[in-house]
Amino acid sequence: MSTRRHLARHRRLARVGAASAVLLVAAACSVELATPPPGCAGGSGLIAAQSVPTAEQIPCFEDLPEGWSFATVNVNQNGTVVRLDSDRAGTTAATLRFEENCDLGAAVAVPSNVDEVERFDFIERLEPSFRAQTYYVFDGGCVTLEFDFDRGASATESVALDDIVAFVSRQDLNESIRESFIDEEL
Amino acid sequence: MSETLVADRSRHGRLRRPSGEPPPLPRQFNKVAIAWLAAFVGWAIVWAWVFLSDDPAIWITERDLELMGPIVDNRAGWLTPSMKAINEIGTHWATPIVGWLALVGALLSKHVRHAVLLIVSLAIIAGVVTIVTTQIDRPRPLGVTQIGDWEGFAQPSRPVALLTGALVAAGLTLVPSVPWRRYWYRATTVLIAVFGFAQLYTGVDHPTDVFAGATVGVAVPLVLYRVLAPEMVFPITYGGGSTAHLDVTGPRGDAIRRAMADQLGVQVADVTPVGLEGSAGSTPLRIVDVAGEVLFAKLYASSHLRSDRSYKLGRTLLYGRLEDEQRYSSVRRLIQHEDYMLYVLRAAGIDCQEPCGIVEITPDREYLLVTEFLEGAVEISEAEVTEEIIDEGLELVRKLWRAGLAHRDIKPANVMVQGDRLRIIDVAFAQVRPSPWRQAVDLANMMLVLALRSSPELVYERALRLFTADDIAEAFAASRGVTLPSQLRSDVRHDGRQLLERFRELSPERAPVAIQRWSLRRIGLTVWVGLIVAFLIAIFVDNLSDIGLL
Repeated sequence: MSTRRHLARHRRLARVGAASAVLLVAAACSVELATPPPGCAGGSGLIAAQSVPTAEQIPCFEDLPEGWSFATVNVNQNGTVVRLDSDRAGTTAATLRFEENCDLGAAVAVPSNVDEVERFDFIERLEPSFRAQTYYVFDGGCVTLEFDFDRGASATESVALDDIVAFVSRQDLNESIRESFIDEEL
Repeated sequence: MSETLVADRSRHGRLRRPSGEPPPLPRQFNKVAIAWLAAFVGWAIVWAWVFLSDDPAIWITERDLELMGPIVDNRAGWLTPSMKAINEIGTHWATPIVGWLALVGALLSKHVRHAVLLIVSLAIIAGVVTIVTTQIDRPRPLGVTQIGDWEGFAQPSRPVALLTGALVAAGLTLVPSVPWRRYWYRATTVLIAVFGFAQLYTGVDHPTDVFAGATVGVAVPLVLYRVLAPEMVFPITYGGGSTAHLDVTGPRGDAIRRAMADQLGVQVADVTPVGLEGSAGSTPLRIVDVAGEVLFAKLYASSHLRSDRSYKLGRTLLYGRLEDEQRYSSVRRLIQHEDYMLYVLRAAGIDCQEPCGIVEITPDREYLLVTEFLEGAVEISEAEVTEEIIDEGLELVRKLWRAGLAHRDIKPANVMVQGDRLRIIDVAFAQVRPSPWRQAVDLANMMLVLALRSSPELVYERALRLFTADDIAEAFAASRGVTLPSQLRSDVRHDGRQLLERFRELSPERAPVAIQRWSLRRIGLTVWVGLIVAFLIAIFVDNLSDIGLL
């Protein structure tokens, strides 16, 4: 191989290498979304369950309504935190926290869609910006859905999120693991 | 000398290197780096397999749990606090501490390239881990109670990968290869083994998570540094030596001997660095052949080429096109230029070294420019500067002007006195048809060099024999701190006689010649470099946490 062709090959390799490095660095730059949200059909449901090992119910997300998107997902030994952005209600307009305990404060009980889960709501204020918390309480765990909208955003935006938080029981998750993976449980 | 050194010597050299035969110092990819790269590729295959099918994931997880079962099933009360502490330190504290210490150390010791590679290594490790974890979605060990800190998916282990990467990159950035780096790697191995065990003990990682993380953490910086900052070209040295000076012992020393014999027919008995204090752009060498004859050689490598590019970019940003030149595209071009300029200057009657030839050490990366050795010559700052020497120095500039040339690096280290002859060396920056400003600066610099060992009045008086008063006035109107090579600037400052001002007093009054040159190119380049730097700093700051530095 002539020196010129040899050099050209080296340059091509160098370019490919540089491009790969840029892609990887770019991937690193978006590392905050490294963990997908706990979806009802996949995602980080298993590690969300591991983040609150006492919880009998694990929250999961259905498809988000239009205008809402996941901002960050943090799952660790202390629990799971999912932040959501809205094109109308603002950045981090909603935050879901899945923890072992939560302080219900002055929240009042309201009917829940899920048998094993109790629901409590607390509207902190409507004006000048909507701020409210919804608590889902169950054996060994609690989910807080906190709304903190931008000034002027309608409180009805929160209603759209009501239906997207669902729950899967730890027992169902364990059965699924045993059936499709290995004979172990969370 | 009846024949030129080139003709005399090349007669004994081989005509050419046979096809397929390696060059004297082949570019070798370190075997250890290849092994780690292979291990990384091995993991990539496993990840792809696991991504495509559940069967390998099940098999690996079962083996993992079998391996870690005895550890988590036999947690001891006395050991658990220590393991939890190690897990916490390794997960949250160790990588930022090691990473920042290495980064600051690299910047303080002026290993900027290594500092950049450290950041890039951590970013690539974080990128690889992110990509793999999101594709594999591996939970923490099933059936095991996690008693340590963890975040996100398990495979590969992010804290193990980042800490290993920080430690390996720190070693490659700060620790001299011989003999200390070996000990650094051993210490790193012990630390990662202890941390990895703590990860298993606390139940937050599977064994394969730890091994995969460690593999990524070693392979990425090792390969990156070996390719972009090979030890042979970018050695880690301390103790005041210039980073431009390469080690000419070991494989490179052997390669120089082989190359000199093959290409110039010179049987080398000894190669030693010489005059390092006056050289920052190459490694100057004194070469003695078996017959006792002495030659001079300048070793150029790709590190010198990059330094030259950075230097020119910096000058362009600070002063506009001060140097009136383009950067070199390769080491070969750089050394060809200097060799060519030696011939041009000698043809113009200028007493510089006789070239003996260019010797290839590594194709396109490392070359030697071999010339005669100025036996018995001393730097002008150590010689007696007589009227004859002053006249020779001024005559040299006159000849440069007459031939339409500029030396552009006239400083004491490049003006040698050999007996009663004044000789100029280091013509790497010499230029054909330079700007009038550049030629004027050559005159000013030569007069300053001569005045350092005599008096400005005497030099000015002798200069008037060859130059007009206006020429001299223009030379000093064109000169100021930045136009003086750094050694000359330092010598003039330490001399204390205000030589520049004294020459200006002696010569007719003339308005200073503007150095700053503004052009669309300079403005565009400044904006472009500023944007890139700001962008990179913003990315770096925004991702400090993600790459393990926060």
